[in-house]
Amino acid sequence: MAMSFEWPWQYRFPPFFTLQPNMDTRQKQLAAWCSLVLSFCRLHKQSSMTVMEAQESPLFNNVKLQRKLPVESIQIVLEELRKKGNLEWLDKNKSSFLIMWRRPEEWGKLIYQWVSRSGQNNSVFTLYELTCGEDTEDEEFHGLDEATLLRALQALQQEHKAEIITVSDGRGVKFF
Amino acid sequence: MSKQLDMFKTNLEEFASKHKQEIRKNPEFRVQFQDMCATIGVDPLASGKGFWSEMLGVGDFYYELGVQIIEVCLALKHRNGGLITLEELHQQVLKGRGKFAQDVSQDDLIRAIKKLKALGTGFSIIPVGGTYLIQSVPAELNMDHTVVLQLAEKSGYVTVSDIKATLKWETERARQVLEHLLKEGLAWLDLQAPGEAHYWLPALFTDLYSQEITADEAREALP
Repeated sequence: MAMSFEWPWQYRFPPFFTLQPNMDTRQKQLAAWCSLVLSFCRLHKQSSMTVMEAQESPLFNNVKLQRKLPVESIQIVLEELRKKGNLEWLDKNKSSFLIMWRRPEEWGKLIYQWVSRSGQNNSVFTLYELTCGEDTEDEEFHGLDEATLLRALQALQQEHKAEIITVSDGRGVKFF
Repeated sequence: MSKQLDMFKTNLEEFASKHKQEIRKNPEFRVQFQDMCATIGVDPLASGKGFWSEMLGVGDFYYELGVQIIEVCLALKHRNGGLITLEELHQQVLKGRGKFAQDVSQDDLIRAIKKLKALGTGFSIIPVGGTYLIQSVPAELNMDHTVVLQLAEKSGYVTVSDIKATLKWETERARQVLEHLLKEGLAWLDLQAPGEAHYWLPALFTDLYSQEITADEAREALP
C-alpha cells in the first residue's frame, strides 16, 4: 500500500526520530513531521487513528532505519497538528484522533463553491449524495469520510452558508 | 615603448576574440587561462569592469555562477544549516543550468566562491578529507569545529568517542564542539543510535544528494 508513497529525505535521516534540542531545528523538524503525517494519511485514506496504531505504523516507526519516534514526541507532533486545525481528539483520554489533511473550513469552502457553481443553493442533500453521488464524482470532496464532512458542514453552518438537518434516513444539509 | 604596448594590445585583442568562446565553453581552458594570468601577475576577476573581464567575458561568467551558487545555498540552507559539500553544490548547480548550458567544473565553483568570499558575503571554504565544505551562512566556526567537521565527513556523523579516540581530546572539549554545531543548526542529535548519542550533519548526509530542491525551499531562496 505504501508503494507509491514517496518518503521525504528526513524519513531516512536518523535524528529525525529524536526530538531536537535546538529550537530552530525543532521547528523545522516538527513542520516536516506535520507535513509527513498529513500526506501519509491522505494517501492511505486514513481519516482516524489511535495513538497505539500510530506508534507502530511505518509513519512513526522506520523499521529499516531502526528508529521510531517516541510516544511523547508523537504527542507533540499531534498537538502541533491540532493547533493547525488538522487534527481533532475523538476522546477525553487523547487515545484516538481524527486527522484531516485539509482543514474543515477548507473542505467547506470547496463544497460550497461546487454548490454555487452548479446553481444548487437552497437545495437539500443527504450526506451520502454529497460524497458518494454521481454528481460529485469529479470533485475533490468525493469520497470524503463522514466525520470530516460533518465538520466541514459545521464550519459552513457557522458562516450561515448551510444548515445540517435531519432527513428520512439520517442527516442531510441545506445550502443557502 | 608605446609601439610595443600597441602591439601587445593588438595581440591581446586578437587572443581575446579568438578565445572568448573557448572561455565560456571549456572548463579546462579556463583553468589554463587563469594559470597563465597568474603567471604574468594579472587577476582577470579583480574588477568587474577591467579590460580582461570586458574583453573576454570572464568576469560575467563567474559573476553569474556566483549568483547561482548563492541561490542553491539559500534554497538548501533550511536543510543543512548553511553547510554544503562541494559535490552536492556542483550537482545542484549543474541541474539548475539545464542541458544546454556550458559545463561548469568544481574548480569554477571554488573560484566563484573565493570571489564571493572576497566581496564579504560570509562564504568560506573548509577543506575536509580530500574535498571541501562550503559554508554560506557566517556561523562561527573555529579550528576545533572545523576539525570535527572533517572527522564527520566519512560517515556523516560523529560521536564524543570518535573525537576522543581520533583527536585525543577531553570529553568536555568534544561535548562543547558538538553542542556548538547543534546550536548553529549544522548538526542534529540522534539518541537512538547504538552506544551513545550520534551527531549527524545534514550537509554530509549523502542520501540528500539525490534529493531535488523542494518547492518550499525554492520559495525560501527568493528575496
